[in-house]
Amino acid sequence: MSLDELLRHPALWRARGPGEAAGRPGLPTGFAALDRCLPGGGWPSRGLVEILADHTGIGELSLLLPALARLCAEGHEAGWLAWVSPPHPPYAPALAACGIDVGRVLVVRAPPAEWAMEQALRSGACSAVLGWAACRDRQSLRRLQLAAEQSDCLAVLFRRLRNGSEPSPAVLRIALASGRDGLEVRILKSRGGRAASVRLGWIDAASPAQAH
Amino acid sequence: MARSGQPRVTPGVPLSQAPAPDPSARRRPRPQTASGGGRRRGVDGSAVAVPVARELWLAVHLPHYVLESLQPRATAADGAAIPCDGGPVVVVDFERGGKVVCDCDVPATASGIVPGMALNSALALEPGLRVSSREPRRERALLDAVAAVAQEFTPRVSLAPPDGVLLEVRGSLRLFGGARSLCERLRERLQAHGLDPRLALTPVPLAALWFARAGVEVALRRPDTLPARLAPLPLAVTRWPARTLQALATLGVRAVGDCLRLPRDGFARRFEPRLRLELDRALGQAPDPRANFVAAERCVLRRDLEPELADIARLRRAIEPLLDELCAFLRGRGAAIESLELRLLHREAPATRLRLRFAEPVAVAGRIAALLQERLARTDLPEPVRAVRLRSGALVEAREEAGELFARDRRRASAVPQLVERLRARLGGEAVHGLCLVPEHRPEAAQKSGDIHLGSPTSPANAGRGTGKGRGECPAVPRPVWLLAVPQPLEGDDPPRCEGPLEIEEGPERIESGWWDGSDVRRDYYVARTPAGVRLWIFRERRAAGGWFLHGVFG
Repeated sequence: MSLDELLRHPALWRARGPGEAAGRPGLPTGFAALDRCLPGGGWPSRGLVEILADHTGIGELSLLLPALARLCAEGHEAGWLAWVSPPHPPYAPALAACGIDVGRVLVVRAPPAEWAMEQALRSGACSAVLGWAACRDRQSLRRLQLAAEQSDCLAVLFRRLRNGSEPSPAVLRIALASGRDGLEVRILKSRGGRAASVRLGWIDAASPAQAH
Repeated sequence: MARSGQPRVTPGVPLSQAPAPDPSARRRPRPQTASGGGRRRGVDGSAVAVPVARELWLAVHLPHYVLESLQPRATAADGAAIPCDGGPVVVVDFERGGKVVCDCDVPATASGIVPGMALNSALALEPGLRVSSREPRRERALLDAVAAVAQEFTPRVSLAPPDGVLLEVRGSLRLFGGARSLCERLRERLQAHGLDPRLALTPVPLAALWFARAGVEVALRRPDTLPARLAPLPLAVTRWPARTLQALATLGVRAVGDCLRLPRDGFARRFEPRLRLELDRALGQAPDPRANFVAAERCVLRRDLEPELADIARLRRAIEPLLDELCAFLRGRGAAIESLELRLLHREAPATRLRLRFAEPVAVAGRIAALLQERLARTDLPEPVRAVRLRSGALVEAREEAGELFARDRRRASAVPQLVERLRARLGGEAVHGLCLVPEHRPEAAQKSGDIHLGSPTSPANAGRGTGKGRGECPAVPRPVWLLAVPQPLEGDDPPRCEGPLEIEEGPERIESGWWDGSDVRRDYYVARTPAGVRLWIFRERRAAGGWFLHGVFG
């Protein structure tokens, strides 16, 4: 048995190798520096993405807005954007200014956000599902990851920084912190990629084009 | 009327199409036939002149409607035999002060019980008899159900209470592949409901009904054969008053044919003229207008639960047959519902009301059941449920969408309403909403949580409204992704504090507006950053009260 045959064994997963080229292309984040660190060249189109930040408004949403706008620009193909139990009401004029079709935003105020997120993921109606949930038990986190894996949509879960030390089945985990001169993005876990740290300048939500 | 006009002068004799029905007439060239015979023949252009009826009536007669109305119809749908589990069954009615058998099933008939027998005699013959009493409400419901089935075959359905339904099927023959095939399909549908119908097809409604009542399953296409075929039927099929039938029997008149031979004027004088008219109608010589059956506007179903149920899962299973029935009702009308009310009746406590609302018209039992499951899961039952009453909302036209080439898009379009109604069923109606832009300078009035536009997200016009106009409204000034519902007062003054001193980055942007509706604002907005790096949208109140407020957070 040759080495190549051994390496093709389905139970074997290689961090970097020929399998990566065949992987699904990601959804460009709109930030070239970040795209370079992510395995598919952008947000994974399947599987859960965790964004960890301790403060609401640090820039966690600005990081996503270009990708959301890109999803809306798919035109006829585009699905809905579900916002499940956001910390504050989303403000339509700001979203519209970023190029998001507010007619397709679905806001769900659900105290147990996990259930609503899972429904939105499994329905196949959404092209992106953003959820704000503590996800205390690992069971619900695994269910979310499974639902995200099976659906064809961007699934993002926002949690606190202290959750970063807990194990998680998510495909991509990103910790956000604000440094002196801008947003610091640390990739804690990236399936098919490697841990990295990217420093983005201050992202202005109203004009995402500057990041390109 | 044009066709039946000519032969009406000679009642009692077989209907013939022309004064001279000799065979040579049929072989004549067409113009002469047209002038000598009926007007229709020329139009048909056929050399063989057969009087073709303009109407064909199919009568459905239910000989055991009393018994069948008491069957649980939901279980009858799958064809399982219901009544045979507990021995012979009879249905009794109060007549002349005592209980009299008015219908009985096959095992009861086998032990010698016949309708009209006193209940005591029946019990003497068969001690293990199961006795039920008549329920006129359910008999009427059964007839409506049969009419609803009949409406799948033709739009012209008429009731002949208490046990008959008439269908005018002339226009449906070609669709269903001929009279025989249509009758078979109708029979199959009715048998699936646990019914045993008698069917008869003639050009005249009353004659069809008489044949069906007599159990003679005929399919007559020509009106001229009617008198000969009707003649042997017993007079009981006419359902004339018992006194009249007795009087006729003493005259030796026992069959319809005997009656037709009686002199016309004398018959009308001695008995009621109405009876003579009925004979004419049965022969197709008098018009017989029939009122069209109008289906109920709502579907109301009820099911009694025995034993009472307190378990949600079992309750759900008990309701599912009702949903199937509801959907069959909707299918028959090409309709759908947008709401549904379910009342769970208890013994003591007031009924529990569940109201289901759908994001779009639905007519699929599985979807209603899924929603119901969510609702039931968050319902507390005060007591076990004794009965379930289901009442559909107003019927709306079912929207059958044309298939699309690209499966993914279609899946998404149909999945959104389902997702929304699922979330709403569990979380409540207000928990799920969309966003909507309003052209307005005051930040809090520039949007409202709108309804979800289910049909429109793919239309380019809507996409344009969402993005293009939004950009136009706030050209350069930044707007936060989060807007607090109520502005939150900040401590300190110049600079204000929020988790530490704020650093003003941009501003001011003055917004003064709304003096006309009482909630006017006069504010200077700034973009500020906290020591932790969070960008905030704050304003300084310019009215008398003054002070700093936090109004939004940049995501």
